[in-house]
Amino acid sequence: MKILLDDNACQGHGRCYELAPEVFTDDDRGHCRLLQADVSGKLADLAAAAARACPEVAITVED
Amino acid sequence: MANPQSGIDEERFQDIAYRRSADPALYYAEQRARGPITYDQDPQGFIELINRADVEYVLRNPDVFSSDIGIMGSTEPVIPIGIDPPLHSEYRRLLDPAFSPRRMAELTPKVAERVNALIDEFADNGECDFSQELSVPLPGSVFIDLLGLPQSELPKLLYWKDVMTHAAELTGGIEAGQKLTLETAPKIYEYIYGVIADRRNKPADDVITRLMQARIENDRSLSDNEIARTIFLLISAGLDTVSISLQCIFNHLATHPDDREALVNDPDLTNNLIEELLRWESPVQAVLPRRATRDVEVAGCPVAAGTIMQVLIGAANIDPAVPDAGSVDIHRGDKRHLAFGGGHHRCLGSHLARMELRTVVREWHKRIPNYRLKAGYTPEWNANLLRGINHLMLEWDTKGTVQA
Repeated sequence: MKILLDDNACQGHGRCYELAPEVFTDDDRGHCRLLQADVSGKLADLAAAAARACPEVAITVED
Repeated sequence: MANPQSGIDEERFQDIAYRRSADPALYYAEQRARGPITYDQDPQGFIELINRADVEYVLRNPDVFSSDIGIMGSTEPVIPIGIDPPLHSEYRRLLDPAFSPRRMAELTPKVAERVNALIDEFADNGECDFSQELSVPLPGSVFIDLLGLPQSELPKLLYWKDVMTHAAELTGGIEAGQKLTLETAPKIYEYIYGVIADRRNKPADDVITRLMQARIENDRSLSDNEIARTIFLLISAGLDTVSISLQCIFNHLATHPDDREALVNDPDLTNNLIEELLRWESPVQAVLPRRATRDVEVAGCPVAAGTIMQVLIGAANIDPAVPDAGSVDIHRGDKRHLAFGGGHHRCLGSHLARMELRTVVREWHKRIPNYRLKAGYTPEWNANLLRGINHLMLEWDTKGTVQA
C-alpha cells in the first residue's frame, strides 16, 4: 500500500504518528513526517487507520 | 467582544445557550431542520455555521475567513489565534515546538503528581465536587508551572479566566458580562507586562523566557507587546477548556457504567475513549469567530463582507452527514473530529490538553474505579459555548477506594 502525505495540509494534530508510529513520526513542531511510503500487512492497517483519523485529510493511502 | 447592539433579549439568548450546552444533539437537530445557517441565535448578531462541510471550508480558507478580531476584552488581536497567515505561520513555527507532543510528554510525571495531590484531598471522603476540586485547579496549576509563576497566583488566574470565558455566569447577564470582560482585560495585560519585565531581568526555564529568546521573521525577537498578547491567549484558552473537557468526560463516565467498567477493565481504552468523548461532547463548541473578508457564499447562502461567523465545531462533529456521527461509541476508532479546530489555527495547546486529560483519567481510575453521580444530584450545564458543569458532584464507596 502506498502512502501519500500532503505537507501543506498537515497542521500537527498528531493523530497519525500516535496511531501508527512505525509509519509516521513527528518533526520538532509536531507535524507529520513519513517514515515509510510503502507498507503491507499490519502496518498497512495502521496506516489506513491513521489516514482515517487525520482531521485535515492530509494522508491518503492507495492499494 | 463589544456588543454592537443594545437591549439584547438576555432571557432568550441565555435560554438558547443553555439548551445548546445541555443537549447539543437535540439543539443542532432542531437547527439543521431550519437550514444550514442560522441568523438569529447569537446575541452579538453573528451568523452560525453548523454543517461539517461548511465548517471545514471556513477553517481551511483563512484568506476569505479572517481571524483578525478582538476577543475576551483584548483590544488588540491575541497571538496566534487572532492573526492571519502569513504572520500567523511565523508565530506558530516559533510556538509549536513549545507545545509539541514530545515536550508535553516530558511534563506528564509532574502533572500526575499534581493530580494525585488533588485526589489525596478528597479520596477518603467518598465524594467530591469534581469540577471545583479537580478539574478547575489542575489545568491552572499546570499552566502556572509552565509560566514559572508561584502557585499562590492560582486564585487570581482562575478568576481572570472566569471573567474571560464565563463572564455572563459571573454577572448574571450577557451585557454585564461583556462590560466586566472589557474592564478586566487591561488589568490582565498589566499583570503580564509585570511578569515579562521580571523575566527580562531574571531569565528562567519557562515559556515566557523561551518566547523572549526566540527569533521570528528577519531574525528579530518578539516585542513585549507580542509576548503579552500570546500569554493573554494562553490564560483565556488554556485553563477553562481542559476543565470543561474533564467535566464532560467524567459526567459521561459517571452516567454510563458500561463505558466506565470497560475503561477500568482495559486502561488501553483511555486514548480512544477521550477522543470519542471530545468529538461527541465537544466541550469547546465553537472556534474563534471568523470575519468574511469579501462577499462570499457559504452553504448556498450569501454572506456579506464584514459578517462575523460562529463556526460551531460542536455541530460539525455530530453532523449526521458524517457516517456514525450521531451516536457515541468509545470502542470505535478515531473519527477525524474537529474538537481542537482545524486548518492553520489547530489548537496550539491540543497536545497539552490531551496529556492532561489522559493523565487525569488514568490516575483517577487507578484510585477511584467505581463512582457515580452523588445521590439526589442532577448535573446542571452552564449556558456557554464552553460547555461544562460548574459543580459535578460525584460519590463512591470508600472501602472500594484503592490507596496509591
